[in-house]
Amino acid sequence: MPKPKVAFYWCASCGGCEEAIVDLNEDILKVVELVDIVFWPCAMDFKYDDVRKMKDNEITVAFINGAIRTDEQEEMANLLRKKAQIVVAFGSCSHLGGIPGLANFWDRETIFESSYGKGCPSVDNPDGIVPQTVSKVPEGELTLPAFHNTVKSLDQVIDVDYYIPGCAPPPYLTMKAIVAILSGELPEKGAILAPEKTLCDECSLNDSKPEKISIKEIKRISEVISDPEKCFLAEGVICMGPVTRSGCSEEGDGKCISANMPCRGCFGPPPEVKDVGGKMISALASIVGLEGEENMSEEDVEKLINQIVDPAGYFYRFSLPTSLLRRKRMSNPAKEDRYNG
Amino acid sequence: MQERIGVFVCKCGPNIGDKIDVDTIVNEVKNIDGVVTAKSHNLLCSNDGLEFLKEEIIKGNLSRVVVAACTPKMYEQKFMNTCEEAGLNPFLFHMTNIREQVAWVTPDKILATEKARKLCLAAINRMSFQEPIEKKEIDVQPDVLVVGGGVAGLEATLTLTAKGRKIILVEKDDSGKTETTESAQFRRVYLVEKSPCIGGVSARFEEVYQTMECAPCMLSPELQEVLQKENVETLTYSEVEEIVGSFGNFTVKIRRKARYVSEEACIGCNACFEPCPIEIPNQYDGGLSKRKAIYLPYAGALPNVPVIDRLNCLHLNGKECNACEQACAFGAINFEDEDRLIEKNVGAIILAVGSKLSDPTQFPQFGYGKYDNVLSAIQLERLNASNGPTGGKILLRNGQEPKSIAFIYCVGRKEKGYCSGICCMYMSALAHHVKEKLPDVKIYSFYTDLCLPKKEHQKIFEKVLAKGVEFIRSDGSEYVDYDGKKLIVKYKTESSVKSVLADMVILAPPVEPAKDIEKLAKLLDIPLDEHGFFSEEHILMKPFGAPLEGVFVVGTCQGPKDIGDSVAQGSASAGKILSRLMLGEKLELEPIVAEIDEEICCGCNTCIGLCPFSAIHRDVEKKVSVIDDTLCRGCGTCVAACPTGATKAKNFTMEQISAEIMEVAK
Ligand SMILES: Cc1cc2nc3c(=O)[nH]c(=O)nc-3n(C[C@H](O)[C@H](O)[C@H](O)COP(=O)(O)OP(=O)(O)OC[C@H]3O[C@@H](n4cnc5c(N)ncnc54)[C@H](O)[C@@H]3O)c2cc1C
Ligand code: SF4
Ligand code: SF4
Ligand code: SF4
Repeated sequence: MPKPKVAFYWCASCGGCEEAIVDLNEDILKVVELVDIVFWPCAMDFKYDDVRKMKDNEITVAFINGAIRTDEQEEMANLLRKKAQIVVAFGSCSHLGGIPGLANFWDRETIFESSYGKGCPSVDNPDGIVPQTVSKVPEGELTLPAFHNTVKSLDQVIDVDYYIPGCAPPPYLTMKAIVAILSGELPEKGAILAPEKTLCDECSLNDSKPEKISIKEIKRISEVISDPEKCFLAEGVICMGPVTRSGCSEEGDGKCISANMPCRGCFGPPPEVKDVGGKMISALASIVGLEGEENMSEEDVEKLINQIVDPAGYFYRFSLPTSLLRRKRMSNPAKEDRYNG
Repeated sequence: MQERIGVFVCKCGPNIGDKIDVDTIVNEVKNIDGVVTAKSHNLLCSNDGLEFLKEEIIKGNLSRVVVAACTPKMYEQKFMNTCEEAGLNPFLFHMTNIREQVAWVTPDKILATEKARKLCLAAINRMSFQEPIEKKEIDVQPDVLVVGGGVAGLEATLTLTAKGRKIILVEKDDSGKTETTESAQFRRVYLVEKSPCIGGVSARFEEVYQTMECAPCMLSPELQEVLQKENVETLTYSEVEEIVGSFGNFTVKIRRKARYVSEEACIGCNACFEPCPIEIPNQYDGGLSKRKAIYLPYAGALPNVPVIDRLNCLHLNGKECNACEQACAFGAINFEDEDRLIEKNVGAIILAVGSKLSDPTQFPQFGYGKYDNVLSAIQLERLNASNGPTGGKILLRNGQEPKSIAFIYCVGRKEKGYCSGICCMYMSALAHHVKEKLPDVKIYSFYTDLCLPKKEHQKIFEKVLAKGVEFIRSDGSEYVDYDGKKLIVKYKTESSVKSVLADMVILAPPVEPAKDIEKLAKLLDIPLDEHGFFSEEHILMKPFGAPLEGVFVVGTCQGPKDIGDSVAQGSASAGKILSRLMLGEKLELEPIVAEIDEEICCGCNTCIGLCPFSAIHRDVEKKVSVIDDTLCRGCGTCVAACPTGATKAKNFTMEQISAEIMEVAK
């Protein structure tokens, strides 16, 4: 019997998810034994045409990481959808929009302006040239993929079968998913292949939390020497653990937590939560200044809340494109192109 | 199974009918999947309308009912009852408001119709997520907590426990034979008193108006009865620490402070006082006498068991002394005694923590604290009392009898902003007693206004006048000075500034709330009024009910009043409880409560401190939070806060609310 075929592809991502595959270490040899890798542009020499030539559904499973931000990514996502029986959104960007999704606080024009315009200190671009989809040069025409106004998660572009969350996904979850898929023990379509309870459930610092939490002051992690025995949140450092799925580390205890950093939320929301940022904001608003609330003036409250630096970026760090907000309103709606969906 | 939804749009006569095109809406919703009946009615809340609704539910075998009408605040309950009568769980009913929120605020008929249509669609969209909710009942807790053992609390306690109830149970066995069992049930009262003894302030007064009776003699039978009654548990030297629950089902934590003297072993011989080397001013005598570290507030205080004041006792502060222990022939002293927390279940709570006289040093013009013989009225009460510091003799600090006394009424009334109502009378009564004891003393009474409202008051006042007390009306700007021998009271009349000389000055400072009133208000989440007394639910109609069901505020903690009025409120609150908290009855719990799904809860504790009713606790073993549905009132605070979505409010689930929003936002 021929070996199942597997494809890996990257869209708008940092490359960490590719690294996460490599991080399977010796397990990757087991994978290679079990499957044929038919497409992995980051690690091996394949051409898009190789994929185009395949029959529909010829690939057993395609792992796609990264968000969708350009024409090329959208096209490849559609192509892989056609050729693969199963598509797995791999990693936070593909699952929720991820860090690249924060670009949805801007649009193409403002992003180009800050990256290529006069305001950008690291670019010397006196003619104000910005990327064009087509540029004529003496040798002929050069093309670049179109840059969308809006970043999307994979499932906002194609139908997705499963999700492996994480920035980047931990190798043990990837291996578990591969084994499950290859053995045909498939979970329900649309499943997120990670535990459902949120991180506090397995966090070793949770026992240090008082029963009644009241946050007197909100601090950034860089402003404190955090006590490795104490829950970040109870100490006033915002930890996204309560709204974030657990499972980021095989040993239990969050990966960030065990490195003495608060959870940033890369595993995304548990099943009941539609909007991570909104949920965290209402949870936080409930416990901030709880003790002595009745003696606080409007200004006191404002002062306390203003201690949260960049709230939108903090609470929607990985999930802006898939949140209820989705994106900032376009400054010029007339300029909205078809990519705003 | 496909739901069978019925939609009923009420015209509310012309109220809705004239403003909204009801027929268009009815015709449109008819075609929605799942809607089997859609009808309008001219007045759905009328008996006719309710009968119509009931018949439609039965006839159409409806499984869900939507009513579009007025605000749910008006008749939701009526419609729910009708559903129940028709055999439908009332929570499968939903009401949408097209009167207050549409007809009355949107004048344009087309817009109004569109808005009402959307609201109806939203309600229909919610129906598939609607779930039946079963009502739960628990046994009502007939016992009562009374906080404060003054006249008001005592009267309430005795009224509540005056009679038990005979319960006759008739049971049939399988053979059809009936068997009757009789049992008696008694209501218990837990009387929590902060001080070492019961009786409140009035028990420390020798003679009280209007009867000029000796208060300890008047109160003694009541005090004895309370202490001896089997179904009254008197917890002196105790304080309430925590209260959770609601009417019919409160759980109260009470701290019994260590007394260090066994209530069982002590016979009240008081042999322990004399040997104690510590002497400090006795606050129960207004500081006019000294007491020991082991003490009774005053001679004859009940229960007659002393307490050791742990702040001042040498032994309890690590020093060598056990004088009292050696003096006690009954082994009643127990230095190992510790505070104990006890828990009680009660159905209602009476707060009767009384009040106090303001500290006159707040009003420095009267020289209180500066001149020895300027006293607060409460101090004169103690001088006049036969169990007081002088054995009932009216004496100056130097032990001599005063030849002249100035009584100053209305001290601090302007500053406080209210009349204490009792001062005119007790000051006059005090003047009367002093005149009886020292017929030759010259008494000046400075007043700004006289408050003599009750049927006996005028008579007493005239008696005092007849005794030769000189009443002087001033404008409230009295000032007390001292010339090295005598006190000088300077005062203004309409025309001039005058002064009198006196050996003693007696002040009547305002009655103000007891110290702990704020703490208790916080425990129960009930409001205080602008002066810091407990607020009543309605000053005229419910003058002693707190704005929280099952909680009563009686006596002077609700506002200044005399003994008679305090007793009346104590008695009345007991009457309310007797009529509403029946022994053996069931209590229906709030059906719309929140629940936590333990499969989802991550145990983050966000919710626990938020619940205004302390209904949430942590299950330490499972590491999740749990809601006690007998305490939850469905306010939804925890639901909004829960970051995982583990907490759900019945009848207001995320699915139900989103279904409505999605429809209107379409
Ligand atoms: C100087 C003076 C003279 C007066 N003379 C007269 C008079 O001649 N005739 C008349 O009719 N009225 C008189 N009054 C008014 C009378 O004293 C009151 O109406 C009466 O005492 C009110 O009773 P009560 O039960 O409400 O409060 P109180 O008698 O004040 O009793 C309250 C009780 O609650 C206890 N307590 C306080 N806090 C707590 C707590 N947190 N927990 C548990 N227990 C607590 C206190 O220790 C006290 O025992 C006089 C008042 C004063 C101040
Ligand atoms: S540190 Fe973060 S994840 Fe851990 S218990 Fe606290 S809030 Fe939860
Ligand atoms: S809904 Fe939540 S916060 Fe409100 S009473 Fe119930 S348990 Fe407490
Ligand atoms: S807030 Fe939610 S997740 Fe956290 S302990 Fe309460 S119910 Fe559990």
